[in-house]
Amino acid sequence: MPDEETLEEGTLTPIQPEIQDPLLREILEENSLQADPSRDPLEQPAPLPDPDEIVDCLVIGTGAGGAPLLARLAQAGLRVVALEAGARHDPKTEFATDEKAQNFLFWNDERLSAGQNPVAFGKNNSGIGYGGSTLHYTAYTPRAHRGDLTLHTEFGQGVDWPFGIEELEPYYEELEHFLGISGPTPYPWDPGRRKGYPLAPLPLNGAAQLMERACAQLGIRTSPAANAALSARYYQEGVGWREACTNRGFCQAGCSTGAKASMDVTFLPLAEQYGAEIRTGAYVTEIERDATGQVTGVVYEQGGRTVRQRCRNLFLCAGAIETPRLLLLNELAMGSGQVGKHFMAHVGMQVWGTFPEDTRPYKGIPGGLISEDTHRPKDADFAGGYLLQSIGVMPVTFATQMVRQRKLWGQQLRDYMRNYNHIAGINVLGDCLPHTDNFVELSDEKDARGVPKPRVHFTAQENEQRMNRHAERTMRQIWETAGAQDIWAFERYAHIIGTARMGTSANEAVVNPDGRAFDVPNLYICDNSVFPSALSVNPALTIMALSLRTADRFLENARK
Amino acid sequence: MPHYPEGTVRALLETDLVTPATRAALEERLEAPLAYEPQFFDADTYRLLQAVAARIFPQPERQTPISLASGVDARLLRGDADGWRYDSMPPDREAYRLGLGGINQAAQARFQQAFTELDEARQDSIIALLAAAEAPGENWSQLPQDRFFEEMLAELTEIYYAHPLAQEEIGYVGMADVPGWQRIGLNELEPREPEER
Repeated sequence: MPDEETLEEGTLTPIQPEIQDPLLREILEENSLQADPSRDPLEQPAPLPDPDEIVDCLVIGTGAGGAPLLARLAQAGLRVVALEAGARHDPKTEFATDEKAQNFLFWNDERLSAGQNPVAFGKNNSGIGYGGSTLHYTAYTPRAHRGDLTLHTEFGQGVDWPFGIEELEPYYEELEHFLGISGPTPYPWDPGRRKGYPLAPLPLNGAAQLMERACAQLGIRTSPAANAALSARYYQEGVGWREACTNRGFCQAGCSTGAKASMDVTFLPLAEQYGAEIRTGAYVTEIERDATGQVTGVVYEQGGRTVRQRCRNLFLCAGAIETPRLLLLNELAMGSGQVGKHFMAHVGMQVWGTFPEDTRPYKGIPGGLISEDTHRPKDADFAGGYLLQSIGVMPVTFATQMVRQRKLWGQQLRDYMRNYNHIAGINVLGDCLPHTDNFVELSDEKDARGVPKPRVHFTAQENEQRMNRHAERTMRQIWETAGAQDIWAFERYAHIIGTARMGTSANEAVVNPDGRAFDVPNLYICDNSVFPSALSVNPALTIMALSLRTADRFLENARK
Repeated sequence: MPHYPEGTVRALLETDLVTPATRAALEERLEAPLAYEPQFFDADTYRLLQAVAARIFPQPERQTPISLASGVDARLLRGDADGWRYDSMPPDREAYRLGLGGINQAAQARFQQAFTELDEARQDSIIALLAAAEAPGENWSQLPQDRFFEEMLAELTEIYYAHPLAQEEIGYVGMADVPGWQRIGLNELEPREPEER
């Protein structure tokens, strides 16, 4: 047990103690304003909503889960309001090409990471602001494979999704064309698609060229990856022309040019064009219900005020940690006992090496090249599979994860980092099986708002460990073939998945195949928390596909 | 080992190859006042942190070393988090107090002196013990040594490589991105990218 002082420290964390020196106080205040312009006291407080109005649909979260359905529902003529905990930014003027200055894009409220493989949050996978985590996603947009949705049928492990890939394909197609995805046509690992990508692939950077060269020698097929950054200018409804990517390599710390299809330059402006109202700086604390168990509205904090918004339907799209956290805090949709359960994170091992060539890892989209030959490796001793991607990297991100793994310090650390312009990496993105030991719960420790911090338990199980070993072996072989020296591996887990699973039975799942909570008829959940299994690809495109599908199912049911 | 010419980043900051937002972020670090009064740590603990940081990032070639301890002090004062913490660790403020105290306990146990009074070689031997999770000291019963070292190392590293002069040291000029990058393949450089010496 922590002692009293420790507990007090814990509750204190984000509160600023009184600073005596007026000059320092002024400097700190200015700095914090630069870091987070939404805290500017001169900014006008948002007008209070009409306390009697009942909106048709209230959406919590404006990321990949919330934004597409917000637009769809608004386009259907419904009165829709979205609540976003973070601020709205102007990327062109506000986003710096500087990793530290961009920290405001990350969900930095502290989560407690437990288990044998504690998962890193913040910049690793959790976002805040108008656009949610898509503000800092890498914009990898591979489609899930047919087999990803039928893992149990194929391997007798994991779970099947309640529907097949046919349900997602029309949405993948729609999204690829709406967002302007750049990629290869035909797609080497799914050549039978009805429609190709609307734009040609983005150019390959140094890391991608090294991987391409070595894979060719080893007989591993590669291709320029599908990516939601534009390889040519593209017309976006509700936005206008979006310009082509300038290869600035900063996708994971915010795109300042609008080339990357984050929600703030795609679905959110579209939603607003059709009358959706998006309230930023709105942090939801409570979900209210009537005696029959129907949701009646939510309570949120905005600019120091407590506001209530009533609604006919609620769409919870806050991501696989904040979604179950809100459900647990409000004891909502708890009937199946599955809220917070089966937390998953992708096997995301990286292998790095030093090359004689100049790689300048800050140029080009980080993941230029892909291979999906490892989707079902012939020599696999595990269920599922993974994909391979080349990786470029920003310097601070590289340095911090390198020291976490290698523990270099002193002159050795500075010497190693001098090789930065000769570094290149590969990573995998692999399936993760749901397991009862991996879950999200509320801890006893409170944050500055007095809300319990979430504790996330994650231990890579036997299947993930086997996949790690296979992936590390494969990547080391590629990098040795490419001529790398000083090769090292970084075991990591990326993306947050599960925790409010979708299924066909109210005893085993939180939401039904339409995304509607079994226990609460006017509550829908749409984000990575409803994924029954993790998939062997980056999740963003599938979250968006589910979002459009959830909206369509809702609209169809409403018409009945 | 690559070395790059001095002055490249400072020169780039004065051009329109850098956006105003980027310039503001980098110049703030470049022009940070030398004098810093710790507000979170007491003076002795702050000197101890400075001494530890000086061994993790020795900067003998710099007349004015990049300040690392001030960034830690300012962050702990503000109470900023980075989104997560190892569940096995106490909150950050407590972790630093216990961890720095533990470093002094290790110095006392090995050399009967405070860490700041040791010569560099002996200081390094204490850091090496910490890095190997073998440092003596009663505080380590309350704080996992390997996690503390990892967290402190990662934070100091983040502060160091966020500094424009450290970025210049490793040949990074990604901040000069206004025109974008056209020559992005292997061994392809644009005129504003510094060549190795």
